[in-house]
Amino acid sequence: MTRVWLPSSLEELWPLWAENPGAALYAGGTDLLVRRRAGLVRPEALICLERVAELGRIEPDGPEVFLGAAASFSRLLSSPLVTEKYPVLAAALQRIGSPQVRHMGTLGGNLVTASPAGDSLPPLYTLDAVVELVAVGATRRVPIAEFIQGPGQVDLRPGELVSGVRLPATDGNLQHFEKVGSRAALAISIASLAVAGRLSDQGEVLQIKLAWGSVGPTVVCAPAAEAALQGKKLTPETLAAAGELAQQAASPIDDLRASREYRLALVKNLLLRLAP
Amino acid sequence: MLQNHSMKTPEIFQARYGARAARVGSSLPRADALAKVTGREPYACDFYHPDMLWLGVKRAGVPHARLRGIDVAAARELSGVAAVLTHDDVQGSNRQGVVRKDQPVLVDDKVRHAGDAVALVLAMDPASLARALELIRLDLDPLPGVFDLDQALAPGAPLVHGDNPQGNLMLAGQVTIGQGLDALDDCAVVVQEVFRLPRQEHAYLETEAGWALWDPDGGLTITASTQTPFRDMAEVAEALGLERDQVRIKAPYPGGAFGGKDGVSVQSLLGLAALAAPGVPVKIWLDRQESFIASPKRHPARLAYRLGAGQDGTLQALHAVLHYDTGPYDHLGGVVATLGLEHSGGAYVIPHVHLETYAVYTNNPVGGAFRGFGVPQVNAAMEGMMERLAGRLGMDPAKLRQKNILRPGSLTPVGVTLDCSVGLADCLEQAAGHRLWTRRRPWKAAAGPHQRRGVGLALALHGMGYGPVVPDVANAKIELSDQGRLVVYCGVVDMGQGNASTYLQVAGHLLNQDLAHLELVLPDTARTLPSGSSSASRTTFTYGRALLAAAGELKVRLLKRAADMLMVPVEEMTLVPGAVRHLTSGRELSLKDLAGFMAGEERVAVHSFRAPVSPQRPSDDPGLTLHGLPHRIFSFGAQLCGVEVDRLTGRVRVLSLVTFCDVGNVINRQVLEQQVQGGAAQGLGYALWERMRSREGRIIENDLSTYIIPTAGDLPDMELVVVPGFEPEGPFGMKGAGELPTDLPAAAVAAAVADACGAAPNRFPITPQVVLELLHQGAARNLA
Ligand SMILES: Cc1cc2nc3c(=O)[nH]c(=O)nc-3n(C[C@H](O)[C@H](O)[C@H](O)COP(=O)(O)OP(=O)(O)OC[C@H]3O[C@@H](n4cnc5c(N)ncnc54)[C@H](O)[C@@H]3O)c2cc1C
Repeated sequence: MTRVWLPSSLEELWPLWAENPGAALYAGGTDLLVRRRAGLVRPEALICLERVAELGRIEPDGPEVFLGAAASFSRLLSSPLVTEKYPVLAAALQRIGSPQVRHMGTLGGNLVTASPAGDSLPPLYTLDAVVELVAVGATRRVPIAEFIQGPGQVDLRPGELVSGVRLPATDGNLQHFEKVGSRAALAISIASLAVAGRLSDQGEVLQIKLAWGSVGPTVVCAPAAEAALQGKKLTPETLAAAGELAQQAASPIDDLRASREYRLALVKNLLLRLAP
Repeated sequence: MLQNHSMKTPEIFQARYGARAARVGSSLPRADALAKVTGREPYACDFYHPDMLWLGVKRAGVPHARLRGIDVAAARELSGVAAVLTHDDVQGSNRQGVVRKDQPVLVDDKVRHAGDAVALVLAMDPASLARALELIRLDLDPLPGVFDLDQALAPGAPLVHGDNPQGNLMLAGQVTIGQGLDALDDCAVVVQEVFRLPRQEHAYLETEAGWALWDPDGGLTITASTQTPFRDMAEVAEALGLERDQVRIKAPYPGGAFGGKDGVSVQSLLGLAALAAPGVPVKIWLDRQESFIASPKRHPARLAYRLGAGQDGTLQALHAVLHYDTGPYDHLGGVVATLGLEHSGGAYVIPHVHLETYAVYTNNPVGGAFRGFGVPQVNAAMEGMMERLAGRLGMDPAKLRQKNILRPGSLTPVGVTLDCSVGLADCLEQAAGHRLWTRRRPWKAAAGPHQRRGVGLALALHGMGYGPVVPDVANAKIELSDQGRLVVYCGVVDMGQGNASTYLQVAGHLLNQDLAHLELVLPDTARTLPSGSSSASRTTFTYGRALLAAAGELKVRLLKRAADMLMVPVEEMTLVPGAVRHLTSGRELSLKDLAGFMAGEERVAVHSFRAPVSPQRPSDDPGLTLHGLPHRIFSFGAQLCGVEVDRLTGRVRVLSLVTFCDVGNVINRQVLEQQVQGGAAQGLGYALWERMRSREGRIIENDLSTYIIPTAGDLPDMELVVVPGFEPEGPFGMKGAGELPTDLPAAAVAAAVADACGAAPNRFPITPQVVLELLHQGAARNLA
C-alpha cells in the first residue's frame, strides 16, 4: 500500500513533505501514475497537490496573469483569462489527451515532466512565460526557457515546487497553434508549432515568436527564422524561407510515431499555414 | 455459490420494450444493449470469489529457441503460490489448433514466438503471482528465427516446424482458370503493383479472460471469453487428456472478439490450472500488453498483382500472388489464405486467372482470424488495381466497374457459378447515383486552403460460412419454460454482432411473442447444442435457419395441445403474446398453464440445419477444398468515401463514408447498421492508422498508446444504403453481413486518397508521411 497525502494548503504541505522526504509530489497523476505502473518510479508515498488552494489559482496579477500549477487543463480552458488573452495556449491545451486527461492534467505536471512533446510548452515559450517556484520561505521566478533544461530536466531545487506560471500582458494580434498527432485525440505530438506576435495593419510582422514541439530534445526556437520574418508579410515565400532556417535549428529523431525526415518537413510546413 | 450468468432480459429493458412484438423487419434495440451499457452484463472477466486463485503465464519472451529446462523451484517456494505448472503437468497431447494441431499448450520442445506460454503460476493474489512469474528461470537455447516472408522462404532458412514437409510453407494453393497467365500477353493494357498490408490487432475491450473449476466428481467447467465453446471443449479435452464429457465450456457474451477469440486462448491454461486445484475456482485475465503479445492478429500480407484488360476496359486476365505471414502456428492461417485466394479477383468477371496463395510460417506474432478473414487484404489490392486500370484507360472508375461486375449466374474469378442472390449491380448503381459521387467535382473544388479532397469508390463481396467440407451446422433448441416463456438455447456465441438478440426476434416473430415472453440461454456445452463457431458471417444464417424449423415445430405442438385441451379444432387456435387463443370463442390458455400440462420433453423442440454448399470444385487440390474453397452464398457491397488531405501535414480526414450493401432481406435495420458502422470503423483503422509491426519477432506497437486505433473524433458520420434483396436459402431471406463492412474501407480510402493526391498508395496504413510522398508523386506527374 502506498500512502497518499492530500494537503489543502502549502502550510499543511511543507511539514508533511519534510516528514516524508521519500514522497513524490503529483497533481493530476497523468504522468506519474503511468510511470509508476511501468515500474519506472517507486515512490514510498505520494503527496497530492490537487487540493492545495494556492496552486489552483487562476487570476490577474497587475498586468500579468497567474495560472496555478495544479489547476487542471479543463479549469484553465474554462477561464476567459486563458481563452481570451492567450488563445495560443488555449488551443494547445484543447489538444491535450482527451477530456478525461484534461480534467486531471496540469501545467505544473506538464512543465516538470518536460517532455519534448509537452503541448503546453511551445505556447508558454512564445508568451515569454515565467515559472514561479516556491520553497519554505522562498520564491523564485525563472523564465521558461531557463527552467526547462532538457528532456525531463528542469531547474527545480530540492524542497521546491512549481506554484504556477506568470504570463505577461500581450498586445499581439497573432496567435496560432497547431499540433500534428497520430489521431484527432489521445495522441502524443509528432510535431507542433506555436506562434505569438503582432502584425501591422498592412500585415507586416512587427514582432513574432515561434516555438516548435517534438522536433528536438526540448522546445525548438529559431531566432534566425523570427528575424527573417521581421518587417515582412507572411507569404508562402517568406514563410518557406523562415521554415528552412527553422529546419536548421531543429534536431528531430526517428521514433515509432514518425521519422526524422517527416518531422523536419513539418517544421517548415506548419509555418506555411500562416499564409493567408 | 459461484456466480450465475443471468440469462433473462434485464428488467428495465423489459419495462421499456417488453411489450414490443419481436417481429422480423422491425428495428428493435438489442436485448443485450441495456445490460451492457449499464455495466451489468457479467463478462467472463467479471468473476470474483473469495477463495479464487489467480492464474498467470510465463511467456517465452524470445521468438525462437530450444527449451532446455525450466527452473521453478524459487517460484514454488514463494508464499502465496499454490502451484507452478509446466508441460510436465500436461497429461494429454499438449497440442491445440483448429486445423493443424501444431501449437503447444505449454512449450515442451521449442519456443516459436515471443508470446508462447511456457509455465503457469497459480497464486492467492496478483502480487504473489507477479513475483513468482519473475522467479521462474527459463533455460533457452536461442535459435535463428525467420521474421519476414523472403527470409522464411529462402533455401536453407531456419524451420519453424522441423516436421513440416513443405518447410516454412504452411499452405500453398493455386487456381488456374481459362488460359491463366498466358492470357496476359493478349491484353491491350496490363497494370501491375505490389501491395503491402499490415498486421492488425483486434483491440477488443475485454482482453482474454475466464475462470475454471475442477470438481473431481462433476468434471471441469471453464467459463471463458470465446467464440467457439464446442470446439474449445474438444480441443481442451484432447490437449489435457480428458474425455469430452468431462469438459464443460460456458461462453458469456465476450466483450468483443472479432475473430481474435476464434480458437483456444486461455481455455487450456485454465483447465490445466484448475486440475491442479480441485474445488477451487481459478481465474485468468490478461492485461493489454500480454493480450497484444499472445493473441492472434490479422495476417500481414504482400500481394503481387497483374491485371490485364481490353482497350474498352473489359477485364481479361489476372495474375495474383498472395503471401500471408501466418506466424508460428496454423491457427486459421490456411483457411484465411484460401478465403483470400477465393476473393483475390474481387467482385468481377475475369475469364482467365492464375491465382497463387501462400501461408508462411514465421517466428512473428500468430496470424489468425480477424473479421474479414483474409479478404480486407486482397480487396485493397484488387480494388487498387481497378483504380490503376481506370487511370490508365482514362475511364470513369464507376463505369469500368459497371462493365465487369458479377451478376446473377456469373462465374466468379475462381470459375464458380454464382448460385445465390446477387445485388451488386444495384449497389453500384446506387453508389454511382449518390450525390457524393455525382457531385464530387464541386465538392472537391470546395476544399479549403492547403486541403485537397478526393472521392473513392470500392466494391466487395464476402463468402459466408465454412465452404464445402467442414460441416456448417447449427442445432437450435427452443423450449416452453414452466413459467410460460419461450426459451431459445443459443449454441453459437454472440460476440457483439447481435445475433443472439436476432434469434429472439426470429422466435418471437414465428411464435407471435413479445420480448417479455422470450428468454435466452447463452452458449454452454452442457445446456445448449453444438452450433459451430461465431465466425464467417454465418451465425444468423445457419442458426437462424435451424431455429426457424425448431420454432415452427414447437408452434404446431403448442397449438395442437391447446386445441386438444379446449376441445376445439387446431385450425381455430392462434398464438398471442403469453397465451394460445381460440379465435372463435376468444377463450385463452396462458402459456404458463399450457406448460403445466406438457411433459418436459414435449415442451422442447430441436432442429439441425446444415448450410448449403457448392458442389463446384475450382481446384483439384484437396487442400484448398478442405480449407473452404469455394463458397456458395455471398453478400455484396459498395462504398463511397470522401476524404480531405492536408497538403502541409499529410493528414487524411475521412469526411464521409457511405456503404451500400446487398445482404438479402434485413431482419433488424438497427443491428445491421451497428455491424456496418463497427466494421467500417475497423476498416478505417486498417486503412489509415493501425499497424502492429514487429522487429525480430517482438511487437513494436505494444500498447494502446502506440497502437493507434481511431477514436470517435477520427470517424465520419456514416450512411448506409441497403439495396432490396432476398436470399432464398437464408432465414427470412437474409445473408450474413458481419464481415463485408470490414472489407471495403481500405480500398475506398485508398481510392479517395489517390483521387486527392494524384498518386495511388500501395502500402497500408496510409500514414501522413506516405501521403506527403503521394502528393509529391502526384505533383511530379502533373508537371510531366
Ligand atoms: C492518456 C494520456 C494522454 C496524454 N496526452 C497528452 C498530450 O496530448 N499532450 C501532453 O502534453 N501531455 C499528455 N499527457 C501527459 C500528461 O497528461 C501531461 O504531461 C500533464 O500535464 C501532466 O500533469 P499532471 O498534473 O497529471 O502530472 P503528474 O503526473 O501529477 O506529475 C508529473 C510530474 O510532475 C511533478 N509535478 C507535478 N506538479 C508539480 C508541481 N506543482 N511542482 C513540482 N513538481 C510537480 C510530479 O512530481 C511528477 O514528477 C497524456 C497523458 C496520458 C495518460
